[in-house]
Amino acid sequence: MLKSRLNITLMRLLLGIASLLVLPHIGTLNPLFIVISLALIAWSAFVHFFNRFSPSTWVLLPLSLLLAFLVLKLHGMSLGREASSSFLLVLLGLKLLECRRQRDVLAVIFVSFFVLITPFLFEQTIALALYGLCLFFLLLCALVVNASGSTAIRPAVVAGFAAQIGLLAIPLMLIGFLLFPRMIGPLWAMPKDANNAVSGISDTINPGQISHLALSNETAFRVRFNAASPVFSDLYWRGPVFWQTDGQQWTASVNSGGGQGQAHSQTPANTLYRYSLVLEAHHQNWLYSLDSPVAAPDQVRLTQDKQLLLKDKLRRTRSFNLISNTQVKAELINEKDRLRALSLPQNTDPRVFQLAALWRADSSNDINVINRGLAHFNQEDFYYTLTPPRLGVDPVADFLFTSKRGFCGHYATSFAVVLRAANIPTRIVAGYQGGVYNAVGKFWEVRQADAHVWVEAWLDEKGWVRFDPTAAISPNRIQHSIDFSNQRLGGEVRFLINPSEGFSNWAIQLTSLMQAVDYYWESGVLAYGPEVQHDFLSSFGINGWEQMVFWLAILSGGLIFLITLYLYRQVVHKEDPSQAAYLAFCKKLGRRFAYKTPSETSEHYFSRISALQPQLEPGLQKIRQHYLLCRYAKKDVKGLLDLIRVFRF
Amino acid sequence: MPLSLTERFSLKRFKQGSPARNASVMLNHRRVFILPNRAGFTLAAVIIFMLVASINYSNSMGFVFTFLLASATQVSTFFSFRNLSGIEVHGLKCAPCFLGQNTSASFIIKETEGRDRWGIVATIDGQQLSIAHLKPHQSYPINLPVLPSQRGWYSPNTLTLSSVFPFAVFRAWSPLLFAQKLLVYPRPLSFNQAIPSLPAALTNSSITSPSTGADDFSGFKTYQPGDPYRQINWKAWAAEKGLFSKQFSSQQSAQVWLDWHACSSANTEAKLSELCQWALTAEKAQLRYGLRLPSKLIPPANGDAHLQHCLQTLALFNLPADA
Repeated sequence: MLKSRLNITLMRLLLGIASLLVLPHIGTLNPLFIVISLALIAWSAFVHFFNRFSPSTWVLLPLSLLLAFLVLKLHGMSLGREASSSFLLVLLGLKLLECRRQRDVLAVIFVSFFVLITPFLFEQTIALALYGLCLFFLLLCALVVNASGSTAIRPAVVAGFAAQIGLLAIPLMLIGFLLFPRMIGPLWAMPKDANNAVSGISDTINPGQISHLALSNETAFRVRFNAASPVFSDLYWRGPVFWQTDGQQWTASVNSGGGQGQAHSQTPANTLYRYSLVLEAHHQNWLYSLDSPVAAPDQVRLTQDKQLLLKDKLRRTRSFNLISNTQVKAELINEKDRLRALSLPQNTDPRVFQLAALWRADSSNDINVINRGLAHFNQEDFYYTLTPPRLGVDPVADFLFTSKRGFCGHYATSFAVVLRAANIPTRIVAGYQGGVYNAVGKFWEVRQADAHVWVEAWLDEKGWVRFDPTAAISPNRIQHSIDFSNQRLGGEVRFLINPSEGFSNWAIQLTSLMQAVDYYWESGVLAYGPEVQHDFLSSFGINGWEQMVFWLAILSGGLIFLITLYLYRQVVHKEDPSQAAYLAFCKKLGRRFAYKTPSETSEHYFSRISALQPQLEPGLQKIRQHYLLCRYAKKDVKGLLDLIRVFRF
Repeated sequence: MPLSLTERFSLKRFKQGSPARNASVMLNHRRVFILPNRAGFTLAAVIIFMLVASINYSNSMGFVFTFLLASATQVSTFFSFRNLSGIEVHGLKCAPCFLGQNTSASFIIKETEGRDRWGIVATIDGQQLSIAHLKPHQSYPINLPVLPSQRGWYSPNTLTLSSVFPFAVFRAWSPLLFAQKLLVYPRPLSFNQAIPSLPAALTNSSITSPSTGADDFSGFKTYQPGDPYRQINWKAWAAEKGLFSKQFSSQQSAQVWLDWHACSSANTEAKLSELCQWALTAEKAQLRYGLRLPSKLIPPANGDAHLQHCLQTLALFNLPADA
């Protein structure tokens, strides 16, 4: 039995909030815990509304222990984000169940605040943020209802307090958000589950690899050029470089890329692009950059094969300022790299060598061999499809001589192998190609569907040169980005009845606008980490964490002062204007003759003055009468002011 | 009135309140204090946990909501202050009481700024009174039981007005000390029992009861205004001897002295208790009684004012005369 019935409105509010807190976790957490926490909430609703099935401590305690154990057990005995979120949800349900006094209510609210931030560990969309804001507001309401200790307090009053406090808190929150020194990296070893969400290109490439990305509309990164954008056909976004293959798959050479890249003193300046790139967390070491990067930002390494590598995996959205040049002059290749770029697996199909020999026979030099190869893809019966037939043990030979159906992964890997067989050093580069320009936000949005793989071949006179065999077969792949919404498995084109032109334009505008908002959200809010903070604050001359803390204190102190003023202004009594005029007049009189004592009424004071200065009496009497009329008969103050002005001492 | 420097920095201010000065006090920034309560520290721990989680996962939205919660808590202190500030408290005069008797300290709190106030708690010596809702410009009487521990002038302890509104994580309080004083009479002997028989000292002074001796003529005295006409010696007046009143013995004999030395106990407080009881009994019996103390003599009289005077004299007997 409940010892004292708690405010039923409050309980209703808390149960509602708890249910709303569980919702965003559907789909991310183990459904078992979603069900358990909803069941606990339902149970406490029963307890509080019907006063039945109230659990005793002897039920609750073992139940709590059991559930805690279950959470740990199902998450491999580690407390990662999934485990801790499940744990908090279960805790919230249990706490609701034993909610008996005001103290328990507070505990429920505090746990709810913690639960509120857990969905953001999985996803940080604008919609979820707004949802969280609403819940935050409801939680503030719950705090107010709880503290008022009164059932009489009206919802409008509660909401008024919560809204006023919430709104006044926002500027303070912004100062904290901007100036609180961000630390790099996790405080302790990151639990395993935090980086299992590898998205985008992985560190191994096999011919069929990229296909799962082709239908993904997720954003990989966004780019904003400081000046004009390069032409569309130059938009190759370079990622990991692959040197080694075992015939089945290619492996990224993340750790064998050689030393620092050379400076390119002779690079033409008119193809130099400066841009900022907001990269979504992809849990890999490499960055993507416009082919080819010429300089690395802080804490990023530019390798000899032009990969930009981070020290650690990218676990959160970050923004980078990069410089690339779309036309880079030749550099040297050392013997070791040449051998690496020529090595073929032992079991390479002899037909590959025959094909290479065929291409070689038709050509006088390496570049002709390559063009011959591209012509082969163009003229032979090769198709571009996202659902190629399954390939056998030797995917390269199977693709080249049997299926002839595939997409960039197939074309690039096969092409590289044949060129190697023709004694031309090659390597494979994975990344993205193209992107969608957002005219509203003036940035390029590159999506996972834009993932692409191409080949770089070494030409003695030109250095490493990019060749895109996929372009040979499917030229329009280079001209436009694949439109996700039109792309269907099996390559069927579905004819939709097009909406009217105006509506369609309007829809495109709206989409651009939403994507632009999303861009600012990502680059401004989500990517605000240690590096962005450093860049942002140093533009205001704030460097280092000591100065951040200093300014954090100064600004929040100043803001609190302003809030004090704002609230004080509402409190100060407005002095009656007639009284102000009267008191000022008395002061004037006092300076000449005698001061009014605080206890003196106007009658006493003026008669005292009249005794000293009899000639003033009529004027003083007039002023007094008018003053009293202003004060007590709500007469207009203007007459009094006039009388005082014309008064002659 | 401004505080002196030592008063301003005295820690007593926060617990006991500024020295009492007036019968009415306006709560303002000088009188309202605020500190987190236990729930506040718990919330601080929760905020720190949230911050650690946000740092660990480098989660921007985590930071946003952590800072939003911390800021909202900070901003809520202003509203805690506003919930108390602008309330006027009047200390009311307290009726005298007997030692050992429960009495109450009375105040009136008045909302002056035209805002609703929520969840205000008034406390004296651990006795609480909750005012869930104080409406704009509403006056609300507070009566809190106090139990004085000795006779004489008693000042109720600090009245503390507090509230945890709006979040229950900060407690704003205002300790108020009033100059109001409460006179505590000595504890009457067996106050709640039936009135005992008058002590020997009282009966032996051979007072006839007023009813029997009412007509025993004892002499004349000069007429004073107010003497009943029936008692005027008209014959003497007719003989032009002047205006005289007849006097009767019953009026003389109903006069008693409550004497310090006649008390049965040896202890001062016990003697005062006895005297107190006698005074009450004598007043009830409508006797004329005087009080004879080692240091003071109150001539016989009766009536409520006389009783109050006697009881006050007893209450303050041998106490340092400060008030």
